[in-house]
Amino acid sequence: MGPAPAGEQLCGAIVEPEVMEPALEGTGKERKKASSRKRTLAEPPAKGLLQPVKLSRAELYKEPTNEELNHLRETEILFHSSLLRLQVEELLKEVRLSEKKKDRIDAFLREVNQRVVRVPSVPETELTDQAWLPAGVRVPLHQVPYAVKGCFRFLPPAQVTVVGSYLLGTCIRPDINVDVALTMPREILQDKDGLNQRYFRKRALYLAHLAHHLAQDPLFGSVCFSYTNGCHLKPSLLLRPRGKDERLVTVRLHPCPPPDFFRLCRLLPTKNNVRSAWYRGQSPAGDGSPEPPTPHYNTWVLQDTALESHLQLLSTMLGSAQGLKDGVALLKVWLRQRELDKGQGGFTGFLVSMLVVFLVSTRKIHTTMSGYQVLRSVLQFLATTDLTVNGISLCLSSDPSLPALADFHQAFSVVFLDSSGHLNLCADVTASTYHQVQYEARLSMTLLDSRADDGFHLLLMTPKPMIRAFDHVLHLHPLSRLQAACHRLKLWPELQDNGGDYVSAALGPLTTLLEQGLGTRLKLLAHSRPPVPEWGISQDPPKHKDSGTLTLGLLLRPEGLTSVLELGPEADQPEAAKFRQFWGFRSELRRFQDGAIREAVVWEAASMSQKRLIPHQVVTHLLALHTDIPETCVHYVGGPLDALIQGLKETSSTGEEALAVAVCCYDDLSRLLWGLEGLPLTVSAVQGAHPVLRYTEVFPPTPVRPASSFYEPLRERSSLLPRLDKPCPAYVEPMTVVCHLEGSGQWPQDAEAVRRVRAAFQLRLAELLTQQHGLQCRATATHTDVLKDGFVFRICVAYQREPQILKEVQSPEGMISLRDTPASLRLERDTRQLPLLTSALHGLQQQHPAFSGVARLAKRWVRAQLLGEGFTDESLDLVAAALFLHPEPFTPPSSPQVGFLRFLYLVSTFDWKNNPLIVNLNNELTAEEQVEIRSGFLAARAQLPVMVIVTPQDRKYSVWTQDGPSAQILQQLVVLAAEALPMLEKQLMDPRGPGDIRTVFRPPLDIYDVLIRLSPRHIPRHRQAVDSPAASFCRGLLSQPGPSSLMPVLGYDPPQLYLMQLREAFGDLALFFYDQHGGEVIGVLWKPTSFQPQPFKASSTKGRMVMSRGGELVMVPNVEAILEDFAVLGEGLVQTVEARSERWTV
Amino acid sequence: MKVGPWRAGPEGRAWSQGAGQTPRKRARACAEPQLLASPALPDGRIVARRKKRPAGERDDRIPSPPGYAAIPIKFSEKQQASHYLYVRAHGVRQGTKSIWPQKRTLFVLNVPPYCTEESLSRLLSSCGLVQSVELQEKPDLAESPKESRSKFFHPKPVPGFQVAYVVFQKPSGVSAALALKGPLLVSTESHPVKTGIQKWISDYADSMPDPEALRVEVDTFMEAYDQKIAEEEAKAKEEEGVCDEEGWVKVTRRGWRPVLPRTEAASLRVLERERRKRARKELLNFYPWQHRESKMEHLAQLRKKFEEDKQRIELLRAQRKFRPY
Repeated sequence: MGPAPAGEQLCGAIVEPEVMEPALEGTGKERKKASSRKRTLAEPPAKGLLQPVKLSRAELYKEPTNEELNHLRETEILFHSSLLRLQVEELLKEVRLSEKKKDRIDAFLREVNQRVVRVPSVPETELTDQAWLPAGVRVPLHQVPYAVKGCFRFLPPAQVTVVGSYLLGTCIRPDINVDVALTMPREILQDKDGLNQRYFRKRALYLAHLAHHLAQDPLFGSVCFSYTNGCHLKPSLLLRPRGKDERLVTVRLHPCPPPDFFRLCRLLPTKNNVRSAWYRGQSPAGDGSPEPPTPHYNTWVLQDTALESHLQLLSTMLGSAQGLKDGVALLKVWLRQRELDKGQGGFTGFLVSMLVVFLVSTRKIHTTMSGYQVLRSVLQFLATTDLTVNGISLCLSSDPSLPALADFHQAFSVVFLDSSGHLNLCADVTASTYHQVQYEARLSMTLLDSRADDGFHLLLMTPKPMIRAFDHVLHLHPLSRLQAACHRLKLWPELQDNGGDYVSAALGPLTTLLEQGLGTRLKLLAHSRPPVPEWGISQDPPKHKDSGTLTLGLLLRPEGLTSVLELGPEADQPEAAKFRQFWGFRSELRRFQDGAIREAVVWEAASMSQKRLIPHQVVTHLLALHTDIPETCVHYVGGPLDALIQGLKETSSTGEEALAVAVCCYDDLSRLLWGLEGLPLTVSAVQGAHPVLRYTEVFPPTPVRPASSFYEPLRERSSLLPRLDKPCPAYVEPMTVVCHLEGSGQWPQDAEAVRRVRAAFQLRLAELLTQQHGLQCRATATHTDVLKDGFVFRICVAYQREPQILKEVQSPEGMISLRDTPASLRLERDTRQLPLLTSALHGLQQQHPAFSGVARLAKRWVRAQLLGEGFTDESLDLVAAALFLHPEPFTPPSSPQVGFLRFLYLVSTFDWKNNPLIVNLNNELTAEEQVEIRSGFLAARAQLPVMVIVTPQDRKYSVWTQDGPSAQILQQLVVLAAEALPMLEKQLMDPRGPGDIRTVFRPPLDIYDVLIRLSPRHIPRHRQAVDSPAASFCRGLLSQPGPSSLMPVLGYDPPQLYLMQLREAFGDLALFFYDQHGGEVIGVLWKPTSFQPQPFKASSTKGRMVMSRGGELVMVPNVEAILEDFAVLGEGLVQTVEARSERWTV
Repeated sequence: MKVGPWRAGPEGRAWSQGAGQTPRKRARACAEPQLLASPALPDGRIVARRKKRPAGERDDRIPSPPGYAAIPIKFSEKQQASHYLYVRAHGVRQGTKSIWPQKRTLFVLNVPPYCTEESLSRLLSSCGLVQSVELQEKPDLAESPKESRSKFFHPKPVPGFQVAYVVFQKPSGVSAALALKGPLLVSTESHPVKTGIQKWISDYADSMPDPEALRVEVDTFMEAYDQKIAEEEAKAKEEEGVCDEEGWVKVTRRGWRPVLPRTEAASLRVLERERRKRARKELLNFYPWQHRESKMEHLAQLRKKFEEDKQRIELLRAQRKFRPY
């Protein structure tokens, strides 16, 4: 599976106008000659299409060279396959920095170095006296509280060192950052600078002065501040070169203390370095209670001291081993695609490099390993180790003075100590971030182990943005609410530790609270990491609340979603009080059927869609109860798209229940059929073959109760007929059921005779169902319609051997062989493959309750774009099924919303030209078979349809896409999906609410040549329209069952009948587009090829007229008459025919 | 610029009648599949310009292909533009048979979808008595008589543009029809033709079959079929075991010792069984050369795979597929 070329067209482009340049008279001949010569040499392969490889025998069987053997062996040992090796090499080539750019960056760094050491010094002043700072620069730090002891003076740095990934050669494009450590001279610092943010104040002032001087230098294109890893106490200075290199590199200056300035024992995680008396202006409550420890504050100080030692460690370990560097680069790409490395507390590339070092030192990775193996080993390690419980350490010495791991676990959620044993590298990483990393690693490992064909793509090339990865997301906005939440949660020590950053302080307790509350409903909870801001040097640093929105992603567990009950402990247990305290007023005492009296919380949810949104209730309740965040600040994005598949009247359900009722009725009917007495042959199988019976009908059927006054009764057929003077009656689509009869020697062996016998069975079936069960039936030659409980089923009798009879051909020698004919293929599809598919998808719905919603949303969207008739129902259902059966690198969606987003992503990126979409229903295809299918696909590409979907039952022909879409229609869908996806994602990620969610469902109408507007009076499904009309016509239905038991009007849909006529009459001149769900307009596109004047031919005069043109008689479409025909054929239905462009003029 | 074509000015009207005009300059864009705005012409307008009509070339005859006459036809008086029926006398090459009587049959092309057999017969009755009208999807090349088709098992297809064979009672009808000027009106007040909602409702009512009629038809068909089968069987029984003049005896499946059925599947089965039998006896990797060959085969497979992978990578690289974000 590979994504499709971004801008490339499949074949004839549908959107981009291509104007063919006329071949100039003079050059035409030459060109022809050239092309014919080329053709004799070698047929040039079609662009962007894979061709089966042909190697000559000599090439295949020549003696191998030593080099070749080595290469092959290496590939076998170090990589999964040769394809993977090539892919990894290409990717590394793409992200690695070229030598040329490196030289330019080096030159820039030298310049920076020269300028930094030449910045003039300033005399010593008090820290609180900042009058010496020039006007154009502000201190990049929130100085709260302002008063602090100590003096500051500026002196040029004692040492300027490049640290970090740039020197190691593991930095990856784009966004090249070079970290430069500036060692502040000892004279600037004083004893006890570690206390009460004094060091950080000095650091900030140091940068401010530096910034002011560097900003005046013409070398730099931009000079601005940012935070180091998002830490609000540690600003850094960003320098970018001027001119065309501005995007090339960002140099980040980090001031750091001289080596051994701070005493390590003072910075243990148990120590306090921010005094309450200073920070809060009061001593901690009660006398004698110790000051709270400030582990994060201590870590930030320590980080500055360890910059250089980390670099040394990394360069000794990774320096000489190219494989390790490749591995680190791959890991960075992996993290980046999952958005794990960015923002405050992200799992950065530095952490991964250190992890690689750790694995090398524990001999889990060897320096000769390839990049792919390193990636695999690190993922394996991450997947199987839990650093929140068992921390790891790079420190090898067993010095008793070193702090214990347990101390770190007490203070931090994730523990990974550096080689000094004092610094926790993962100090800022929250538990949920780490769990997310772990979860992703686990997913990736299963993907790598599954030997999927394109693991590389799914692992490293597919982005996983939060909105597409998580079932539901919720935005907390505005963030200033979190400040109150911190007070409510009594997080003062944490605030003191974090220097007042209430977002980081509240994040941990908040996620723990929600995780506990969501319990079994939740698989994983992740939070967005606050982005690291950049700001100009003349501005104040951004406030905490300005860091945008906090977004939480919920990955739901479908089996947990069905319960509306939160079961607590028995009332007399001591835990009951805790439970009551946690759930507040929602906790109630309940007596259960087994006699137990327990605390419990019950949520109100009747339908599946409401149950899916219980997490919304849980989250708002808990946040309001425990953190004082009101409902108005929680923007929960879980079901805005549900409205599009909701029934006409009910808004509480997305139709799963209504579908289940219909399926139940079908089950009853099939039981009746099984038990039918008096049929000459017994029923051998009853199988559903309709979208309703696989839960994918966009609008589920409702029981029909026709009002007799609305119809013309036809008593002798006990049926109702539509009336001319009334609006079109409600649309009732009969649900197809295939009823197989047992084989017998009595069946005739002739196709025509079999049809007659089947017709006789249809009649008999109708008779018996009426006699024995009192059902209203109507038999025709091919089917029997049965009205049961308001649902109408269409029973088609089938005989297993009939397709074979249709296939039989007798050769002249009398040999009977089987050849596919159109009739046999159609019959086989309708009576064998369709029921199989229906039952397989029915099973899928039982496994994944969200399947129905996803498939229906997807179909709704495609049809709303007027493209529905280009795609069969089944093909779209299969694409939706692929999202559940092959969700990698995601997990199967648990909400329609995320499934629909992934549908758009799949449609917009899948390379239909070079890949079949394999939908492994019931897991019947083995890996080998899939490989075989792929190679068979390449060989037969030209004979296959544009869109190929392979299922275990249909491995070669892709029956559901045989009759369409055409390349143009598919291309149009791809383009529309590529436009809709970012638009919808942006809407859903907007913290102020998604706005009008129907925007992406409204079709563009400006591309059509003619618009035929229809009268709503005769559109039976008018109310299903995307923008549901405020008023529509009565469709002759009663809300209560009426006395009439006549057969309602079936399958009568004037727009469809009209379209059928239009296509039959003008199909070779124009394409017709219509949304069957209540569309009011038919879009018509003229086919440009048929507008070319053609010589007269008796077989193609349809709708054309003869004109003389330059003395020649040619045929052109008679457009004016055709436009009038549009109105004539649709008399009563058509309101207006608008010709919008005059391109058809000939 | 968006004026409906039938509301075009007098110039447009004249053109739509197609009265011997010089061709318009074509917008070349029509030749290419494109759905967006058409490329602007040099003067920036979208409508193709028309060359000045040379004087004296105008004449009132409607252009028609050689051998055919053109008759304008409209749905009713309300319509302004018309389609054209292209008609000629039905004739076939010497020696071929036709079911349509020579000289009395009119061959009509481009019959609009709303025109039924009845209305066509009514429209042409002015030229002479019409014996029969048959509408078909395509010109009948095989020209073989068709057996009457059951309406239950071969429902009428939705009509598009059709061709018609109109048989007059006298040859004069054909020549009169060729001289018709028109325009013919399909639907008039005295003989309205149903379209749109009216037609669909009546079609729906017609689609309700009469179960009794269906039963009767099935029964008659099956009786005839059973009779045919019985006759065949009787004949086969008669011939069984009887030598033909050269002394050959025909062996059938029905005999007391049934033989292998003559189907492709059966013969394939036999071949497969043979192949498996042979494969069981063969030794693999026994001789050194076999060993060498299998190794070489493995290497060749790897090489082929490598080439395929390289091609795949090349394609992806061309599509810039290795830029991760």
